[in-house]
Amino acid sequence: MTTFDVIIIGGGPGGYVAALRGASEGLRVALIEAEQLGGTCLNQGCIPSKTYLKNAEILEEIEQGKQRGILVKDVDFSMEGMVSYKNSVLNNLRMGIQSLLKARKIEVFNGLGLIKNSQEVEVISNNEKTTLSTKNIIIATGSRPLIPKVDGLENVQYHTTDTIFDLKTLPKSMTIVGGGVIGVELADVFSSLGSKVTIIEYSNRIIAMEDEEASKALHKKLHDKGINILTNHLVTSVSEENGCKMLVVEKKSGEKDVISSEELLIAVGRTPNNSATKHIDLAYNGAFIKVNDYLQTNISSIYAVGDVIGGYQLAHVASAEGLTVIENILGNQKKMDYSIVPRCIYTNLQIASIGQSENDLKSKGVDYTVTKYNLFGNGKAQTLGKKDGFVKVFTDSKYGEIYGMCMVGPYVTELIGQGSAYMSLEGTVYEMAEMIQPHPSLSEIFMEVANLSIGKGVH
Amino acid sequence: MAREVVMPKLGATMEEGIIVSWLVNDGEFIEEGDPIAEIQTDKIVLEVEAESSGHLLKKLYDAGSTVKVHEVIAYMGEENEAIEQIENFSESKDNKLEEVNEEEKVRKTPAANKLAKDNGVDLSLVPGTGPNSRVQKQDVENYLQQDTSKITPLAQKMVKDLKIDDKDLIGSGQHGKITKKDVLSAVTKTTSTQERESSQLKKVPLKGMRKVIAERMSESYYTAPHVTLTTEINMTECVILRKQLLPVIEKETGYRLSYNDLIVKAVAHTLSKNKALNISLQNNEIYFYEEVNIGFAVSLDEGLVVPVIENTDQIGLAEIVKRSKEIVANIKNGKLSPEYFENGTFTISNLGMYAVDSFTPIINQPQSAILGVGRIVEKPVVKNGEVVINSMMQLSLSFDHRVIDGAPAAQFMTDLKENLENPFRMLV
Repeated sequence: MTTFDVIIIGGGPGGYVAALRGASEGLRVALIEAEQLGGTCLNQGCIPSKTYLKNAEILEEIEQGKQRGILVKDVDFSMEGMVSYKNSVLNNLRMGIQSLLKARKIEVFNGLGLIKNSQEVEVISNNEKTTLSTKNIIIATGSRPLIPKVDGLENVQYHTTDTIFDLKTLPKSMTIVGGGVIGVELADVFSSLGSKVTIIEYSNRIIAMEDEEASKALHKKLHDKGINILTNHLVTSVSEENGCKMLVVEKKSGEKDVISSEELLIAVGRTPNNSATKHIDLAYNGAFIKVNDYLQTNISSIYAVGDVIGGYQLAHVASAEGLTVIENILGNQKKMDYSIVPRCIYTNLQIASIGQSENDLKSKGVDYTVTKYNLFGNGKAQTLGKKDGFVKVFTDSKYGEIYGMCMVGPYVTELIGQGSAYMSLEGTVYEMAEMIQPHPSLSEIFMEVANLSIGKGVH
Repeated sequence: MAREVVMPKLGATMEEGIIVSWLVNDGEFIEEGDPIAEIQTDKIVLEVEAESSGHLLKKLYDAGSTVKVHEVIAYMGEENEAIEQIENFSESKDNKLEEVNEEEKVRKTPAANKLAKDNGVDLSLVPGTGPNSRVQKQDVENYLQQDTSKITPLAQKMVKDLKIDDKDLIGSGQHGKITKKDVLSAVTKTTSTQERESSQLKKVPLKGMRKVIAERMSESYYTAPHVTLTTEINMTECVILRKQLLPVIEKETGYRLSYNDLIVKAVAHTLSKNKALNISLQNNEIYFYEEVNIGFAVSLDEGLVVPVIENTDQIGLAEIVKRSKEIVANIKNGKLSPEYFENGTFTISNLGMYAVDSFTPIINQPQSAILGVGRIVEKPVVKNGEVVINSMMQLSLSFDHRVIDGAPAAQFMTDLKENLENPFRMLV
């Protein structure tokens, strides 16, 4: 039997990236995927949602074109066309992954991976079982939508991100349970397409994990767009009447209401896929696999990355974890560093953050300075007609160390990469202030906020 | 074109060096990189290499001279180049420097050149501190350490604020870049060291002779597989002989005969009959020495030196006494002339004046054997079936097992024991 250097279970951004790097480093790699390559990110997450968000942005911009003197008549769209375009994007990307895996001579097994012991993995495909031998295993099995326990939910047809991107027709109305990243992004999409959308969020604000000011800005934007946002609300029961989903919601104050809609989307979070590990005695943190700083489980030759270990459930974090594990398999003893992770929300008022949030700094009792610069003063933002937004930088007053940044506005999900570079290279706010930025550009806000931070504001 | 050969600066603290010997005669042709002279500092002997091919036109100092660093010690140039040209060299050196620059672009020492090449440093960016702005090795080292890309801006600010020398920091970032974490870790370490220092520790940098000893001892210990043989010598006859010879030798030389002198004589005598130990391993070649030149360790406040008595087996006991006492007196007066330390083939380390019975000495490389001498103690011993009190002494021979086997080493010890227990024979 062939012995692999590493078997990776799961072909998502954690697994396939680890496979590619491992093979580049000369390791003999096997990759097991039960469904489609690319994982949740490509098939049910980042890529379909961003494709739809672009559609929503186009529609919104056409509508706003009137203010700029652009008149477009008879704007319409086809759900089928959108699904088809989305699928073509997904296919292209999947083919890209396939050809990369092939080029690097990675053996890909289509089936369900089941870990038998620290050195053997069984692949189950069409009722056939194949046992593979290996020196190391990476569990990258990802997650699936978490379905909360709500009375009546099991009797109702509802959507998750597994199904929502294949809707054949646009619903007149949609209720989204969950005001996190997935909830707000899809609310933005369906609202732009013309659905009447309601978001139900249990916390006191949407995107509760992000900066409060950013959360408020997005709330206002979505509200202005016509989205009904109910915060501090809990769904107590669900039923279906005449093809409509009826949700009984209860305010924390005890007040009850009924929300009805054509479609229901559950977006309250994700739970790990642990089917591959049921035969081995792994340690867990709740439902998530427990790993050390080197992403090693309690069995030293078994590593785990991505959504299955919890923490940041982000594709780019999973990929970074996959690369870190390969370093460790190669004997390079690399710890996973989570201090500078960009976090992005791709709604049409985008939000992007990096490093520590203001809440983190407050809770740790760190002495910090916050400097805010409004996008209104930025020339490029004015030309785009997207002047809502701001950049906030949290710094140490002694050395100007950048603790974190939060950005709200157009294309900030791209701009935050600049923040990532400053922080990764340990540049301080002084270097940020000196850097020459192109004009006119949104990037100028880095220079502006940095100068403001050191008391030398330019504009 | 006449070119200067200068006394190199081999360390931050080096201010002068001794020209131990010239390896090239006036007028002789030298290839680039070939050694011109041996120079010594802090007891290290190193070679000055030719920076380019040419003829040695003139040596400005004799062997044994002490010369300050960066001073010109010789000139090189074309064959039979006139002396006037050489003398005029310094006057017109600025013009000539330009010509040299045309050809070499940057004036640099071979060591600086190698270091720069190894580290991919563009020498034209390195400010030279040598004569005529010649780039020295130290300049390249300084340049490498000052490379700002090796420290993050944040770490740089912290270093400045905390008054830490970033040269002391080890970077853990990409390509060894110093990061905030490295600064914080150094601060923690320094704080704990300072706490200890303030309460009980005194810290002195390892430098000069101590540094050389440290390097040479560890190099010897880790490169040569040491085997140590020990034996006990009945020194009773030596005690009697010394008593008898004391007034005679004192009258002849003005110095008192010590047991060490007797041991030096015995070792030289024994070594002349056991040449298998009078050898050296250098660059994969075994040197068999004809001469027996015994070195003996002398302790100084700042460390340890090993002066040598040449042809020790050829000279009488009185001469050994005279030479050893004069050498030691000169050394203790600070006259560390290189001639005292040259050409040793075997070393004796005597700790007999202390409460030490035996120890395992470390070979004084490039020699291959060393004898450790313990104290002389009166002990009950069995002689002719009776217990008597005799003066006993232990000897330990460490030898380099790469080139000396156990049997010849044991034979040497057996013969040495025989000679010391019957010392009158050596004098015959």
